[in-house]
Amino acid sequence: PCHLFLKEPHDQKGKENFKLLLLLNDRFQALWNFTEENYRMLKQKCNLGNIFLNLESCSEAWKHHKTVLKQFFTDFTSESSMSLALYTVLHKPIRDHVERHVLLLTELNEALKEDPEKELVTSVIKEYVKLESFISQVLDEACFTKALWKSLGYKFTDVLCVPERRLLEDSRNLPISASTNRSDRILLFDDVLVLIQKEMFSWSLSCSLLPRHVLRIVTPEETFFLSAKDPQMKAVWQWKLNQAIRQALNGKRDFPLWGKTGEGTEPPSCRFFSYVFKLEGKFKSATYEGEWHWGKPHGKGTLKWPDGRNHVGDFKEGLEHGFGICLVPRRSEDRYDCYKCHWSQGKMRGYGICEYGNEMVYKGYFKDDMRQGFGILESTAADRPFKYTGQWENDKKNGYGVWDDKNRGERYIGTWQDDHKHGQGIVVTQSGVCYQRTFHAGKMVGSGILLLEDDSVYEGNFTEDLTFVGKGKLSFANGFILEGTFTNKSGQGLQTQGILNTSNEQLDDRITKVQLGLAEFPVEKRWKGIYDQFLEFIQSGCKEETEESFTGFHIQTSKELRKSQEYLFCQRGAEDASWKTEDILEELVKHQELASLHCYLDKALKSSLHPLGKLLKALMIAFQAAYSGIGANRHLLTMAQEEVKYYAKKIWEFYQGLLCLALEQKGQLPTNDQKACSIVLPLILPCFYPELFMLYMLYHEREDDLYCQGIVDLSLFPDIKLLEFLDVQKGTNNYRGHKGLRKAKQEMSLMVLKYVILSPFQRRSLIKDKCFLSATECLQKLITTVDPREKLVILQKTYEEIESTVSRVVEKDYKLPMDDLLPLLMYVVSRAKIQHLGAEIHLIRDLMDPTNQGGLYDFLLTALESCYEHIQRMRLHQRENCHGTHSP
Amino acid sequence: TGRRDDTGVGKSSIVCRFVQDHFDHNISPTIGASFMTKTVPCGNELHKFLIWDTAGQERFHSLAPMYYRGSAAAVIVYDITKQDSFHTLKKWVKELKEHGPENIVMAIAGNKCDLSDIREVPMKDAKEYAESIGAIVVETSAKNAVNIEELFQGISRQIPPLDPHENGNNGAIKLGKQTAQTGRRCC
Ligand SMILES: Nc1nc2c(ncn2[C@@H]2O[C@H](COP(=O)(O)OP(=O)(O)O)[C@@H](O)[C@H]2O)c(=O)[nH]1
Ligand SMILES: [Mg+2]
Repeated sequence: PCHLFLKEPHDQKGKENFKLLLLLNDRFQALWNFTEENYRMLKQKCNLGNIFLNLESCSEAWKHHKTVLKQFFTDFTSESSMSLALYTVLHKPIRDHVERHVLLLTELNEALKEDPEKELVTSVIKEYVKLESFISQVLDEACFTKALWKSLGYKFTDVLCVPERRLLEDSRNLPISASTNRSDRILLFDDVLVLIQKEMFSWSLSCSLLPRHVLRIVTPEETFFLSAKDPQMKAVWQWKLNQAIRQALNGKRDFPLWGKTGEGTEPPSCRFFSYVFKLEGKFKSATYEGEWHWGKPHGKGTLKWPDGRNHVGDFKEGLEHGFGICLVPRRSEDRYDCYKCHWSQGKMRGYGICEYGNEMVYKGYFKDDMRQGFGILESTAADRPFKYTGQWENDKKNGYGVWDDKNRGERYIGTWQDDHKHGQGIVVTQSGVCYQRTFHAGKMVGSGILLLEDDSVYEGNFTEDLTFVGKGKLSFANGFILEGTFTNKSGQGLQTQGILNTSNEQLDDRITKVQLGLAEFPVEKRWKGIYDQFLEFIQSGCKEETEESFTGFHIQTSKELRKSQEYLFCQRGAEDASWKTEDILEELVKHQELASLHCYLDKALKSSLHPLGKLLKALMIAFQAAYSGIGANRHLLTMAQEEVKYYAKKIWEFYQGLLCLALEQKGQLPTNDQKACSIVLPLILPCFYPELFMLYMLYHEREDDLYCQGIVDLSLFPDIKLLEFLDVQKGTNNYRGHKGLRKAKQEMSLMVLKYVILSPFQRRSLIKDKCFLSATECLQKLITTVDPREKLVILQKTYEEIESTVSRVVEKDYKLPMDDLLPLLMYVVSRAKIQHLGAEIHLIRDLMDPTNQGGLYDFLLTALESCYEHIQRMRLHQRENCHGTHSP
Repeated sequence: TGRRDDTGVGKSSIVCRFVQDHFDHNISPTIGASFMTKTVPCGNELHKFLIWDTAGQERFHSLAPMYYRGSAAAVIVYDITKQDSFHTLKKWVKELKEHGPENIVMAIAGNKCDLSDIREVPMKDAKEYAESIGAIVVETSAKNAVNIEELFQGISRQIPPLDPHENGNNGAIKLGKQTAQTGRRCC
């Protein structure tokens, strides 16, 4: 009540009264503190007898209230009974004081005349009266409870009797029974509801709920009914239960008891508390601490099992649902498997990471607590390090996947069944050897094709360490073919009996460059698990809460993920708000026009939070798993190239899916515009370029070498000689032969370079111009770009540079016909010295927008390719000539 | 090191006449006279011709496959005033049959029909030959604009409509233009 005295009156008498009131308050406060301290101390001591001997030493408070202390000692000198003593020390003083205060206040009240003060004092009196009745209520309750403990058998009191516990209602007093058995006894305490049948049950009140109109009690593991004889009785019980629950949840009693009525008395259906599950089931003996709703774990919480297992995360309707982190102790070792995963209705489902106690880590999708869909399992264990990237079914490797055996330095790309290599598979090794064959439950069966580094090819049966066994055919790069039966007896080396055919020419490119895996692993069947998740996400309507589980964690970089557990614990949910799913859909609709779509997609694909960015990231992981490192093998080029194009196609599909959904949500009809699909490939290509270009380089290695030698040959020529050698001016000679036609032709073709005779001055100026230096430099930019379209633009610019140089020299506007373009381009190519031109050309051709086919870009690219081929041929020709002069 | 200067049957002239209705093919808007486009109506469709002219030097002969791969049609030109050019044409047809795209449409143009008074190749020979290989045949004059439209219309009619879903080409057809005359016909 102290707040009542805060306003200080102005007149003399008022000040007097106020002083008195303050004093009263102080005293009361002191007394209250004292009794409370007293009580606490008594509680601390089990043995009441000791208390009084130790009193002096234990309490600071008592020293502060010496007078009161003295009073106590004087009262307690007699040999009165313990209860009386306690009554005297704990109860009587406060009761007396309160009584005296009331009296004092009443007198004061009578003396007062002025309204405001009188009102104040009246209300203070009311509070004191309440306090008085509270004290007697509490005492009554205590007596009531004490009587119960006496009447109840010790079998029950052992369990139930706790000093703080108070009986609030008893079915003996206010009849009610659990529906089944009339002989039940129901006891409502301030913290538990007890149902005594043959056996006793008790439910913590803070976990119990009471639907209106039905006396149905909902507890975490059980729901039961209480039936009263008549509606009034039911109503009373219901009211009392609700009050008791509310007070139990508040953690303190009402003042005065049962004083609050009316609105807001219904206890909340959502709560926070801790509970130990008892019934048989997954949660048996586990303690759940966290948020509840209608008697079920719901919201955030922690489950702890006695065996050390625990689960921290989101719950829904009594089950794990949403993101969670689960630690499961391993049976034998002192280690844990740690799952950071999405749960759905109590089972792991969606994206997750599991750090197993045995140094393995799985990152991928789960379903029904099992690994299912796309996932990566990596082991860093010293004895057998490996990495599997691919499809899972029923917790096992099943479907298309890539396995790196880090000890052997080998990679298997192929199909799996129940954790074994099974079906078609390609094996690439560190040394560059690779083979394709059939596997059965982890073992190689039948014959296969083995592609050796020196371009020879073996078809037949061979062992894992690449020893030929049985019938086989070995084709050497020089065209010799050995067909026979191979044996490998220990100590004798490889032996064979067969026929060596030496009549063939050099092996065909179709054999030495054979592309593996195309028929066996159609591009639509690779990495299905990645696409499936995204498809499901779109089909389920892109629900915000499911986004992460479908598309993987919201993380900035994989490095951050490695930073690990703590990160997921603390930082989750703090993502950049601009990538919320609904915003993403909103944005999509805004950026449909080509230029802005391009920008948008670029941004989205670069973001690690946007679903499309996540899809791209997953595809990069898959791509690298197959084609980086050991996977850089020329026999895999087409697989890789097809795959990148397919990625672009799928990303476009997913973009369209998202857009359709966004439009649908806005009530608009999706427009079926497929035109822009080609914008995706250039956007994603940089992500795959290093691996992909490496494959192109390997594939065109020999041609590029030959071409490089050709360029070295050409570089020996001085510029003007080279131009002549390449025949740029040759036409003039031929032309001179047809003198009769000369005039007519000059009119018609004056500007054609081959008909133009350059003056010595013009020739010099060509050299001074460094002969197409600008064109050469332009072409060299080819290697600085990734996007095929940009490369084609560079090519066109090169062409324009050539043309403008010629125009400058002949001082006329000049259009180059093919007849002149090729030699000049050849010159520029030979001077630009692009090392991997073959790889460049073929990459451009494979990955350029197909609408360019047959168009100007295609034409220019073909011209470039012609030069490339021609330089090789010139080199070959020269080599043959040299050879010719050396041989007899 | 086969035969020499094969140029001169009038390949470039035919393209020029068709695309620009000019005889002088040096006034060309795009990449010299080597790459040109023209859209022509055919029935109720529009066909866009992407025409690649070829280089004249014989040493590029070996590069020809690069030029005709992926082509929908090839125009093979000979000079009716030169029997030789008709022989070369046959060689080209053979090469295209063997190494060219599977369903390539072939059109034979006997050019310079304005010079029929010094004709060396009878019309009948060309007709019979074309029939035997299932090719379109027509005698043209780039100079006088005779049968040039007809030549390309004939090709247009024989090109199957593209599947519009295939590659977004919008019915664009890559057309190879082939010269019958001596060495090179590329598309
Ligand atoms: N009389 C005549 N001359 C032609 C005709 N077409 C082309 N020419 C000439 O033949 C020569 C070679 O033509 P061109 O188109 O450069 O032949 P290309 O080498 O096959 O491309 C040029 O002098 C043309 O003027 C034609 O229809 N009639
Ligand atoms: Mg020409």
